[in-house]
Amino acid sequence: MLALTVLYDPECGLCRRAHQWLAEQTKLVELNFMPCASEEARKRFPQLDHDLTKKDLTVVGDDGAVYFGPKAWLMVLWALTRYRDWSYRLARPELLPTTRRVVSMISQNRYQISRVAGVNR
Amino acid sequence: MTIGISTYLFYLAISIALTIWVGRTIYKNGRVFLIDVYHGNESLADSVNHLLVCGFYLIVLGYVSLALKLGYDIANAQEGIEALSWKVGTVLVVLGTMHFFNLFVFTHLRRRTHGRHNNHPPVNPDSFTPVEQEV
Repeated sequence: MLALTVLYDPECGLCRRAHQWLAEQTKLVELNFMPCASEEARKRFPQLDHDLTKKDLTVVGDDGAVYFGPKAWLMVLWALTRYRDWSYRLARPELLPTTRRVVSMISQNRYQISRVAGVNR
Repeated sequence: MTIGISTYLFYLAISIALTIWVGRTIYKNGRVFLIDVYHGNESLADSVNHLLVCGFYLIVLGYVSLALKLGYDIANAQEGIEALSWKVGTVLVVLGTMHFFNLFVFTHLRRRTHGRHNNHPPVNPDSFTPVEQEV
């Protein structure tokens, strides 16, 4: 796999901030960003359930592999030179349930977190 | 020569000999690991190996030197042997700890560089979707 397409929520301040941070990191795999359920995304992935991608972060590999929610977060970490080791660590069977819980919690509350952290604009 | 002085001399001789033996073992066997870590770059591996062993000698010999003083008088040969045994025992434990620390450093370096070259994704995909190539 050489590239990952990240379908992010453009309406959430936290996601835009994360997007900026990711853009600055050195990568082992290319990351392309697309707003979820956008015209561009629908054209690129005609058979993907785009309503679902609005609910949680979705990552699609150049081979068509779809990663949703916590798995998508792990794939983004895996793409970064500094955090590849962490993606394997967090995906281990003994840590994966905790990873899922924490990531889901952040994802479900992303608008509130953005508001509290003052990153809405 | 009093029993106290000969205990000290025996202690120094045994400790230094043990330290050199462990140091040489680490130096000889660590080299293979480091060459692997640095992808066959032998001069870099030798340099890192030398620096690691240097640190090892400094810490262990420093400890041997600091732990020399007994702090009480030795009356007879039996007490001398007991004191010597206690001192050499602590040196052995320190050497063992340092040895495992070195092993940990070697395996950690090795795992880290190998992890970088691992191209397998950490999780399996949820599904597959056709991708339209950009025109």
